[in-house]
Amino acid sequence: MNKAHTEAFGVDPWKARIDRVFARALVLPLLLALGLLALLLGDTLYRSFSVQVVRADEGPGKTYPFGLSATETLRQDLLARGYTEEEVAFSLQDPKERQVLFLQNRVELMWNTQDGPFRYVVTGVYDERVADFSLAEGLRRWNELKANLKEGERLVLNPWLDQTFLTRTPSRSPLTAGIGVAIWGTVWVLSLALLLAIPVGIGTAILLEEYLREGRFSRVLEVNLRNLAGVPSIVYGLLGLALFVRGMGLGPTILAAALTLGLLGVPVIVVTAREALRAVPESLRLAAFALGATKRQVVFRVVVPAALPGMVTGVILSAARLIGEAAPLLLVGAAAYVPFMPTSPLSQYTVIPVQIYLWISQNQPEFARVAAAGILVMLMVLSVLYLLALYLRNHFRREW
Amino acid sequence: MEILKQRPSRHPAEVLTFVLLLLLSSVTLLTTLGVILSLLGDVVEFFRRVPLTEFLLAPEWTPLFANPRYGIAPLLAGTFLVTTIALLVAVPLGLMLAIYLSEYAESATRARVKGVLELFEGIPTVVFGYFALLVVTPLLQRVIPGLSIFNPLSAGLVMGFAIIPYISNVASDAMESVPRSIREAAYALGARPYEVALRVVFPAAISGIIAAIILATSRAVGETMIVAIAAGQRPALTLDPRETIATMTSYIVQAATGDQPTGSTAYYALFAVGFTLFALTLALNILAQWVVERYRERYE
Repeated sequence: MNKAHTEAFGVDPWKARIDRVFARALVLPLLLALGLLALLLGDTLYRSFSVQVVRADEGPGKTYPFGLSATETLRQDLLARGYTEEEVAFSLQDPKERQVLFLQNRVELMWNTQDGPFRYVVTGVYDERVADFSLAEGLRRWNELKANLKEGERLVLNPWLDQTFLTRTPSRSPLTAGIGVAIWGTVWVLSLALLLAIPVGIGTAILLEEYLREGRFSRVLEVNLRNLAGVPSIVYGLLGLALFVRGMGLGPTILAAALTLGLLGVPVIVVTAREALRAVPESLRLAAFALGATKRQVVFRVVVPAALPGMVTGVILSAARLIGEAAPLLLVGAAAYVPFMPTSPLSQYTVIPVQIYLWISQNQPEFARVAAAGILVMLMVLSVLYLLALYLRNHFRREW
Repeated sequence: MEILKQRPSRHPAEVLTFVLLLLLSSVTLLTTLGVILSLLGDVVEFFRRVPLTEFLLAPEWTPLFANPRYGIAPLLAGTFLVTTIALLVAVPLGLMLAIYLSEYAESATRARVKGVLELFEGIPTVVFGYFALLVVTPLLQRVIPGLSIFNPLSAGLVMGFAIIPYISNVASDAMESVPRSIREAAYALGARPYEVALRVVFPAAISGIIAAIILATSRAVGETMIVAIAAGQRPALTLDPRETIATMTSYIVQAATGDQPTGSTAYYALFAVGFTLFALTLALNILAQWVVERYRERYE
């Protein structure tokens, strides 16, 4: 349309120039945003690798071939340290003992060691890091560093996001810190929160779209929802602290966190579910009524099934939003150091973003690398959710 | 649509469904009530111990000192500073993006750009905070001497980017709802595309645009993790963007992660700050709705 108009009349050259400049300038924010995203991703990725000179004070710090499982590697390492077969088998079968063992030993997937590429390294918890170099500097000085290694020191390329990072418990030492507890905490909190938010959100959406006539009550509900959507998430945290943690005496537990997060998720789900319901054409409802269906049958057998893909997409997107929430959970007691996996709704917990926040606030610079690895994990989880939502949206898109 | 809703039925199953839905939706009303009551009770207790004049006028916020002062001003100053910086970034960029989306982009491009914005919106703010502290601050420190490690400048800049989607979404919706006939009329008078965008569509959609800015302000005021990580946690009555400050939200995080014994004045102070934050964002949200309703241009 623009082009046709430009050529239909005589053109003032100045205006034409302004036009061109303006049209190009408009793409600037997009480029900036994309550049920022790329920088963010690149920096996180880059920072999650480092070259280290590590001195193992305990254990041989041996390397094991790539392809062994972490447990198998640890087993071989323990045997090499003089444990008997029975002791090792017992320790690795008992969950508590196993946890302690993994807490004390970091089984790392090292990309490169001075013994060759792609090896596992078992590192004692008492490892004293001699130096941590950024990827560029470390690789540049690789040969120099390798030549200067002292007795008992190893030169390693450390990918902080390795296999066992996903299953380890938090630790006060960056080398052995993992995100396992936070991942399970997130799974627990999120699924319980959705258990609350989905029925409430979708129920409210159905009520507003299918049942309520425009009137005072529907107006109150709508205004209230709009305001709730604008309440800062940290205020929900205060609500959770006063109501669930202290008021109901739940303490800093998964349940309290899930209730808080569930309430936070309701407005988002309502908005998306309403959109899905609104997209169902009127003719479908009329047809169902014409066949003699009751109101309930029309809504729950015709309209809701037709709107379901849209609703599911909306729920996935709100789940993605909720996964990233750290502020309210800091208030309802996501703890800094939870060494055990959650086992019930009344367990202590921590979640991924809170764990990342706590790592960022640590003084030791290596924790920034651990945080970077954690962020990569979170971004991976989020991209899976977004791709899923995108797939659902495209796969079930229907023209009425 | 409305006519379909007017089908009263006395059948028990129908009534039961309706009641069930009412019960579910009442949770949203109870949430609001819960927020207000849970805050209000503790706020009242706070003001029983600390006079309102102290809260409003004292120049320091030091609830954990031996001789505590409870003046909200430093926290408000910090919040104001970060919000202003964020808006200086987000408003121009967000509006440019909105104009691009509604006036210039082809529909396929528009869908793709909106996808990117959705992605941007989905990035947890912890990640943005990390980015501000570890990437943006070191970069700025090379340019600006005397910049603290924790500073409102980099927190505000990064937060500006984080809230661009809120502005561009609402503003481009408002601009897209300006009818085509008005654009065509302008073109018929010989206007250039940029004139149509800036002098016709933009003013016609102004209520939506202002609402978008107000909503983004509310978002920036309530944003927590970026400021808690990158702006610091030292309340100071300053407008110097190089100094470490604290905002209302970052104070709440700080106070909540260090254990406050229930019943101490510092514990109640948490809720006083939270209530101020709640009232402020609520006022902004209501203002935005009012602007939209009051100044909306209606087209036939």
